Amino acid sequence: MSAATPAASTPDGASSSVAGAPAGESSSGNVSDLDRMVLEYLRSRGLKELEKAMEEIEKSAAPADDKGKQPETAPSHTISQEELIKQLAIFAQKPANPDENAFKDSSSVLQELSTMGNPQNIQNLISSIGPVGAEEILSLDPTDKHEGFRELESWVDGSLDMYRPEFRPILFPIFCHFYLDLVQQGYREAAQNFYSTFSPSIPSIHHATLHHLSTITLPYHVQTDEVAQRFRSEKYTVRMSRSGFSLLIGWLTEGFGGEPTGTGDGFSGEKGKRGRAAVMRVVNNHLRFDVSASSTTSVSPLTWEESTGFLSAVVPQTNGSNVDASAYNSSKGELKLGPAPISEELRAETERTLRDQAMVDHDPGAQYDLHFARPAPPAGLASPAISDLPPHPPSFKTVDVKREVEKVRDARKRIRLDPSALTSASLNTPQGAAARARALPSICAYTFHDVGEGVPCCEFSPDTSLLAAGFSESYIRLWSLKGEKLKGMRSDFQMNNVRDVSSINKIREKGGSTTRKLIGHSGPVYSVTFDPIGGSGSPPRYLLSSSADATARLWSLDTMTNVVAYRGHQNPVWDVKWSPMGIYFATASRDRTARLWSTDRTSALRIYAGHLSDVNAVGFHPNSLYLGTASSDCTARLWDVQRGACVRVFYRHDDIVSTLAFSPDGRYLATAGEDLAIRMWDLGSGKCVKKMTGHTASVYSLAFSAESSLLVSGAADWTVRCWDVKAAGGLPSKVKENGTMVNGTSEDHPPEKETESTET
Amino acid sequence: MSKPAPKTKPAPTKIPGIYKLDCVRDVAESLNIPNLPDAVASALASDVEYRIQQVVEEAARFMRHAKRTTLTTSDIDQALRVLNIEPLYGHFPHNPPTFRRALPFPQMQSAGSVYFVEDEEIEFDRILREEKITMPKGVSWTAHWLAVEGVQPLIPENPPAVPKEDTEGKQAAATVLPGGKQTQQQPLLVKQTLSRELNLYYARLTSSLNPQTSDYSKRTAALASLRHDAGLSPLLPYLAQWVSEGVVSTLRTGSQTDNDGKMLEVFLDVISALLDNQTLGVEPFLHQLLPAVFSILLHSALPPSHANHLRVTAAQILSHLLTHYSMTYPGLPTKIVKMLIVGLIENKKPRQTNEGAIRGLMAIGKEAVRLGLVDRQGAKIVGEKCMPGEQSTLVDLVMEGLRMLHPPSQRPVPLDPNSGADSAVVERLRTQLGDFFAERVIGDSAWARGILSDDAAGAL
Repeated sequence: MSAATPAASTPDGASSSVAGAPAGESSSGNVSDLDRMVLEYLRSRGLKELEKAMEEIEKSAAPADDKGKQPETAPSHTISQEELIKQLAIFAQKPANPDENAFKDSSSVLQELSTMGNPQNIQNLISSIGPVGAEEILSLDPTDKHEGFRELESWVDGSLDMYRPEFRPILFPIFCHFYLDLVQQGYREAAQNFYSTFSPSIPSIHHATLHHLSTITLPYHVQTDEVAQRFRSEKYTVRMSRSGFSLLIGWLTEGFGGEPTGTGDGFSGEKGKRGRAAVMRVVNNHLRFDVSASSTTSVSPLTWEESTGFLSAVVPQTNGSNVDASAYNSSKGELKLGPAPISEELRAETERTLRDQAMVDHDPGAQYDLHFARPAPPAGLASPAISDLPPHPPSFKTVDVKREVEKVRDARKRIRLDPSALTSASLNTPQGAAARARALPSICAYTFHDVGEGVPCCEFSPDTSLLAAGFSESYIRLWSLKGEKLKGMRSDFQMNNVRDVSSINKIREKGGSTTRKLIGHSGPVYSVTFDPIGGSGSPPRYLLSSSADATARLWSLDTMTNVVAYRGHQNPVWDVKWSPMGIYFATASRDRTARLWSTDRTSALRIYAGHLSDVNAVGFHPNSLYLGTASSDCTARLWDVQRGACVRVFYRHDDIVSTLAFSPDGRYLATAGEDLAIRMWDLGSGKCVKKMTGHTASVYSLAFSAESSLLVSGAADWTVRCWDVKAAGGLPSKVKENGTMVNGTSEDHPPEKETESTET
Repeated sequence: MSKPAPKTKPAPTKIPGIYKLDCVRDVAESLNIPNLPDAVASALASDVEYRIQQVVEEAARFMRHAKRTTLTTSDIDQALRVLNIEPLYGHFPHNPPTFRRALPFPQMQSAGSVYFVEDEEIEFDRILREEKITMPKGVSWTAHWLAVEGVQPLIPENPPAVPKEDTEGKQAAATVLPGGKQTQQQPLLVKQTLSRELNLYYARLTSSLNPQTSDYSKRTAALASLRHDAGLSPLLPYLAQWVSEGVVSTLRTGSQTDNDGKMLEVFLDVISALLDNQTLGVEPFLHQLLPAVFSILLHSALPPSHANHLRVTAAQILSHLLTHYSMTYPGLPTKIVKMLIVGLIENKKPRQTNEGAIRGLMAIGKEAVRLGLVDRQGAKIVGEKCMPGEQSTLVDLVMEGLRMLHPPSQRPVPLDPNSGADSAVVERLRTQLGDFFAERVIGDSAWARGILSDDAAGAL
């Protein structure tokens, strides 16, 4: 296959034979001439194998039949006249455009050829051409790719400033295709040469992909590698303005606007033309242009960004039509982002309790509590009804009332952070200091000492009575932050002896310490989470954990034992989160799915599939109607929890998205990851509100303040950063750094605001 | 894949071809496949490389989710597991195997270099006898305030506020550069890392220390607070800077007014108060405070009304510094003595500077005085500046210094220039002290011998 470089079936040759076809009889007269010409031609090109094959074909003198592709044309002299007419009839069926090259679609030709009863040799030939198609054989000369890319790049660089941002994105897919083409055709050195010459001109956001491609050096890899196959099988979408697109077409067809004559072979040279043809082939086969009427200057860079890439793969396609992320998001309609309703009985009971307590305590401030109990629905957000929520038990318990009461109290006592105060005051004045105190949180850092291989995760319980940390050594450790002893149950008791609280207390373990190890997983524990039912009112009763052993486990904090192991994921489970009202929880796994579970069933209730790579993090919307997922395919998605359908695609980050956080007011989603930028998305429209940069290493965790005014991020660069949610995005003129050192997850707990840090 | 891939540590496979043909061929030979064709070997090598990359990419995911930034062998194991490959047992992140290069085989040149895994031999007896195996303490945590209302408290757990000082330096540079003016430096000093209370305290303190704006009683109160109050350490850098810049700006004006003298006095008092405060760690700021002390001690144009007092105080501070910090601050005595001797023996230095230098040396001690006045011939240099028969503070000071070296006798016996031993002493006196001071000492033979001799007791 490597020697087959036939320009043998140039479009000219093909069309001439087609054009000659209607002439019919005349062709049969000079077949031997044609045959000889072909042989001579092949000999002049040095294609020994083909030549030999042809000679064999001639010798066998089998009734072969073909046209178009020259090797196949050769034996046609033995065809009887009727047969020839019959075979050529398919071309005669299109008299409207006789000039059209019917063999443009090479696969159909091959299919046709293989269905006809061909002699063995031709079958061999065909099979050696393989599924890549005959077109590929035309482009086997490695130099044209080199030349083509060089020309393309110089054309892009030489284009007008206003078009350059439009044209630059097409370099990346063409680079990848050229490289893969070269590898697939076995030109390993040429491929490496091509890579080393041109990879510096690809923007740095693609470096991960480029690096991956650079390791592909064998044709077999191209066929099996996932990234390579995505390039091969899916169309890469590039957005372009109408005028920009016509400029590109002009260059591809005529070489307009290329490099000036005198440098290189020039645009008129034969080499240049073949290079452009190579570019054209990629453009035709693998790119899709989203031509918009608007010009580059009127569209923000973010929008350009979000309409480039493998859109058809990333954005779920509905009915065959290609849509980009924003079109998809708008097609999914309105979301109900308002706060979750609570049942009227629970609310009445909460208010009654609050009133009673206010009477008992003679607390004058408590009368305002009722005001917090009925928060006004936020403007512009549709609130869900109780029937919209995932099913919950119809009756409420004491613990629910306690939680709601505490929630109201917290709302009253909370420190309200207002970062916008910082912008108005200068920091050196006393007023500035006061503004800072109002704007920025207090952070308490917890440092773990003497950990072995690491602490991938840790979590505070909502009432801050417990701290749980998951370890790489497959266990979970609990600490009581109140200094109470953590006691499990003895195992030697009779079930029928347990009648009331005192008998339960009797079977509790004696002694115990303020820390406890939970053993059960068989791989590093990547996520732990406390159940939210108790809220800040009472201690949690359950803990969920997820691990590399592909299970999620439920731990009872009453007995300090593992109660359930939820199996279903095929691969490590990266993240687990409770729904805001308990009972349900979601997991994210390396197997590219997120799943919804309820604690009382061991199989998943819903599977959210669609991400192209690992799902790194999950999070519930505060009203538990939606589930957010962050994935290694550089996107985040929002799913309808009950329907299991994707309702928003947040496209895109430049690298892996590793964490996400919903704002408590339900309007925004913040995502961050390896590309060091934190992006804020408006859930309603699915648009990126802003991009916040400043971290110098990958971001590990995000958390909003209770009134959604402040975002805190923790990263591998040992800093905790506070971001003003309301302020406009972009790079701040000067970040006030305190030189903090934190590594791990951070978590906000109004009113105290604690940040946890793992490891030192 | 199975054999060769794991052998190589995960390395960035940036440049294709890190896995060489030879390795493939070696492995093939070990599997009893001699004469592997080149094409096959190179194809295998690229495949191995691709597989390594695959494993590393997979392992990187585990690294990220473990919130680490270094890849460990456990990540590789996890990656192999999810790729459905038997993990490599026996590798731990704590003690990675070390590869040693074997000595070359002289009898077989073609073998090339051979590497082996180093396997330390451990004597069991020794382990039993010597090593005390202690149980690890177990995981624990500590909590501290990383930030309080947006301000990072200066506690040991938090990193020092280094970036802040940088910006301060930049700001100072910015104010100096454009106009070359440095007059408005002082109010800028206090930055946002101080709490509001400390800020307030600092403002009140500096204003009450300023003799123009406050009276004597206020000043003493402020100094007493500096001397005894605990918890001022966050302010220390600012105070040190305030003092050093204040001294520089006061001396630079050269106005020699009464007020300047008072101000300098205050600065010295502040320094001594800071040094007296037991709760402060002044040591890191000595390099900032010392120049201020030296400037006052050795400056030529001190306000005349205060000059004496200032020099005496500065010299006292120096001696205090030496007694307290010479142990913890290596090189401090030599540094100070060197500075003073330079001030004494440099010809161009004005008399006032010499005066200060002698006071300083005297405050330090006998040995320093001997070094300065006699060994380095400070007295001779000073004497050359003096008129014969002159009576001045400088001359008095030198005499005092000489008296410190050896007390003059009650009943002086003059040196006899005719006797052999005495004339030698006179000769030495003239070379060491110069004519001016030799004349004054010559009348007391015991004193003269005491001054000259290194061992005063021996001369008696």
